[in-house]
Amino acid sequence: MSDKEIIIASLRRVDRRIKINRLFTELNLTAVLFLAIPLLLKLWDLVEPMRGVTIGIIGGIWILLFVAFAVWRFAQKSTLEQAAASADTRADLNDELKTAVWFINNPRPSDWIEAQIRRAAGNAQNLNVDRLYPRQIPKTLYLAAAMILVFVVLNFVPLPWNHNWLALQAAPAFSLNDKEAAILAQTQELLRKAEQLQQSELTEKLEEIVDQLQEGTIDAQQAAQMLNEIQNQLEEGNLDAASITEGLEEMAKDLAQSEELEPTADALQDRELKLAADELRKLAEKLGMNKPESSKEIQKSLEQAAQNTRPGLEELAKLLKEAAENLKNEQQQQAQQSLEGAAQELGTIQQRIESQQLKNLASQQIQSLKDALQQRQQAGQKASKGEQQAGKGQNASGQKPEAGQQPDGQSQSGQSGENGEPTDQAGGEEGQAGAMMPGGSEGTGLMPGGKGGSDAPREGDATSLEVQLQQEKVQGMNDAGEKPEDIEESSRQERSRLDYRNVKSDLSPAQKDLLNQDRIPWEYRPLIKSYFEAIRQAPNQQGKQ
Amino acid sequence: MSTAIDQQVATFQERFKRVKEEVSKVIVGYGEIIDGVIMSLLASGHVLLEGVPGLGKTKLVSTLSDVMRLKFSRIQFTPDLMPADITGTNIVQEDAMGEKFLEFQPGPIFSNIVLADEVNRATPKTQSALLEAMEERSVTVGKTTHKLDSPFFVLATQNPLEMEGTYPLPEAQLDRFFMKLKVDYPTVDSLHTILNRTTKSQEPIVERVLGQGEVLEMRKTVRAVPIARPVQDYAIRITLATHPKPPYAHALTMKYVRYGSSPRGAQALVIGGKIRALLNHRLHVSCDDIRAVAYGALRHRVLLNFEGEAERIDTDTVIKGILENTPEPK
Repeated sequence: MSDKEIIIASLRRVDRRIKINRLFTELNLTAVLFLAIPLLLKLWDLVEPMRGVTIGIIGGIWILLFVAFAVWRFAQKSTLEQAAASADTRADLNDELKTAVWFINNPRPSDWIEAQIRRAAGNAQNLNVDRLYPRQIPKTLYLAAAMILVFVVLNFVPLPWNHNWLALQAAPAFSLNDKEAAILAQTQELLRKAEQLQQSELTEKLEEIVDQLQEGTIDAQQAAQMLNEIQNQLEEGNLDAASITEGLEEMAKDLAQSEELEPTADALQDRELKLAADELRKLAEKLGMNKPESSKEIQKSLEQAAQNTRPGLEELAKLLKEAAENLKNEQQQQAQQSLEGAAQELGTIQQRIESQQLKNLASQQIQSLKDALQQRQQAGQKASKGEQQAGKGQNASGQKPEAGQQPDGQSQSGQSGENGEPTDQAGGEEGQAGAMMPGGSEGTGLMPGGKGGSDAPREGDATSLEVQLQQEKVQGMNDAGEKPEDIEESSRQERSRLDYRNVKSDLSPAQKDLLNQDRIPWEYRPLIKSYFEAIRQAPNQQGKQ
Repeated sequence: MSTAIDQQVATFQERFKRVKEEVSKVIVGYGEIIDGVIMSLLASGHVLLEGVPGLGKTKLVSTLSDVMRLKFSRIQFTPDLMPADITGTNIVQEDAMGEKFLEFQPGPIFSNIVLADEVNRATPKTQSALLEAMEERSVTVGKTTHKLDSPFFVLATQNPLEMEGTYPLPEAQLDRFFMKLKVDYPTVDSLHTILNRTTKSQEPIVERVLGQGEVLEMRKTVRAVPIARPVQDYAIRITLATHPKPPYAHALTMKYVRYGSSPRGAQALVIGGKIRALLNHRLHVSCDDIRAVAYGALRHRVLLNFEGEAERIDTDTVIKGILENTPEPK
């Protein structure tokens, strides 16, 4: 190797070590600075849980910045001159390598320069890079490790509101409070029971809505709409149930004409369908033991009852009719089978009615949940509106916000407190449906949607004037010239706590000049004032005269 | 080749060391001053020694002349000293035939080592007689220019306290001095040594260790030392920083300096750096060498403004600020 090559090779080694040490130190320091961000965020998350989207965005930006910084620092190249200068300083070589590098890059024919390079090569070869640039573990590495540890620990703090970011957990977009969760649980329980009676996917739908709400894919308003659909689905069977009940009552009246069928009729009247089914079965067993007259009565009663073909009772009517015909044809066994079938149908109807009742209960619970969600959304909207108003500054227009002046046209269902203030309960839980649903069923709330609230006073937000000065009373002078008039006295007593602001005028400069033109010279003002006072007295005197 | 250069450097160091040792036999405690004087001699420059009376300035110069086998002359500058008293003059002479002719009678300037004692006591007219000699190494009398012998080395002394009846050296004159060395009061130990040496019957005797040829050879060696561009750039930046103009001006310079160093200052920095490199057995000039000679090379080339003089700012303070704030090349 030539002297030049020795110097360059040595300086490359030095340069590599410098770069590694520098990168290690810088990245550690940067890591500490960067780790402070997630650590602070995690601490903040413990106070106010953040959504996954927020964490994702911040985390993404954080990683991008860190990687960009690392790449930038890694890509930063140093020169051999820099390495030579550093080695000269560390090895106390008095700029020997720096000079040699310069002469290598700028060769000149000189014995002295060759000798200098030769001597520099000897010293460069003897450079102990490990001694000059020892690999040191910076203190920031320990700090970074400690910060990571703290971050991990914070993620595993067993608090109910803590979310483990390491397990990709974050606060849901919408979280149900205890009351709402209880309502949801009750609804789900009711729906599960209803499902046992009739196959339904409503529970899954409900869970899906809540999941979407918590994930943030839908907001509370959309959730309320979807709950409304479920509610409608649940209430679809209400008409059938009512029709069945009425039909059964009519059937009971018809069946009561036969003495043998009286227990069955009573049970039907009492809507004890299982008991009625049992009575029918007992009747079927005793069919052979009945007298012909009584069989005829039974047959007649069954025929009459079979004529009640209301929706939901078609099958029962059909079976009763078959039983009547079989009795008429004295086919006892077939009649017993038909009655047995009618008893089974009664059981089915019983299940259907019970299912509908459960659904109705679930519907009520869903209504409560929906109301709670709407109330929370409106509270949120009101809060944001309040912030916007505060941001706009002192908009002291003095106008009261009108009741029901919601941007989305919804009634203020959440404002059921006495003074129009929002409360936690959505206007009470009972009998408030009319108040909650815009234009819905009747209710007793204060809102225009319910009939009961039509005459009730509408209360809007309290007046939020931020400045209310006392009325100033300026004491004028009754007699001219005796006492100086201090027109600013009151103003000095009562000062606004707000700074006066320069309100931009819509007028053009020319218009403003015209308005501000002072046509009355200052020195003539007392004269003019005394003139008007003089002519003011004249009519009084005339009146007296 | 390398061995020859090493030998050259070793010889340089040896000669320098011998001169210094001989001078130090008489002059006590002024190592840096002696170094500066010898460096100025080897750099083909001149030295201005500033110090209160009685510190041995004149003794130093006379000892140096004793050590070297060079022609020495001393000029005591007084207000009535005339230029011709320095340069010499044409004198009417009579030959054997009785014919009269003008013959140039060389003045004391025609020596290798000239001591201009209390140079600021002479009038500017007389002081200016040194200008041509110091820079051009020649003296013009009438229409004839007389070359001075090489090496030509002027050592001037001046007293900073007694300003009455003196004529401060003009900037042009000051700029011609390679270095301005300040002779401070000796330390207690040095004083003991001085008293021990000078109050005994036997005074120290010095040997002549350096001749004219050797001095010229050493000067040649100095010029051969290479300097890398970054180091030279450092010297230039320091020189430019003495000027109260951006971009290199230092805050102190901008506040207190009226005019900075001429390019001769940068030359002095580089040549002084080269000598120092050789003395440290190096074949290259370092930034440290430049810094080491900066005070001697620049202090008389920095001209303070009214504010600087009113606040009694020392030019060394300005130079210190410049050195501290001028970064080394990376």
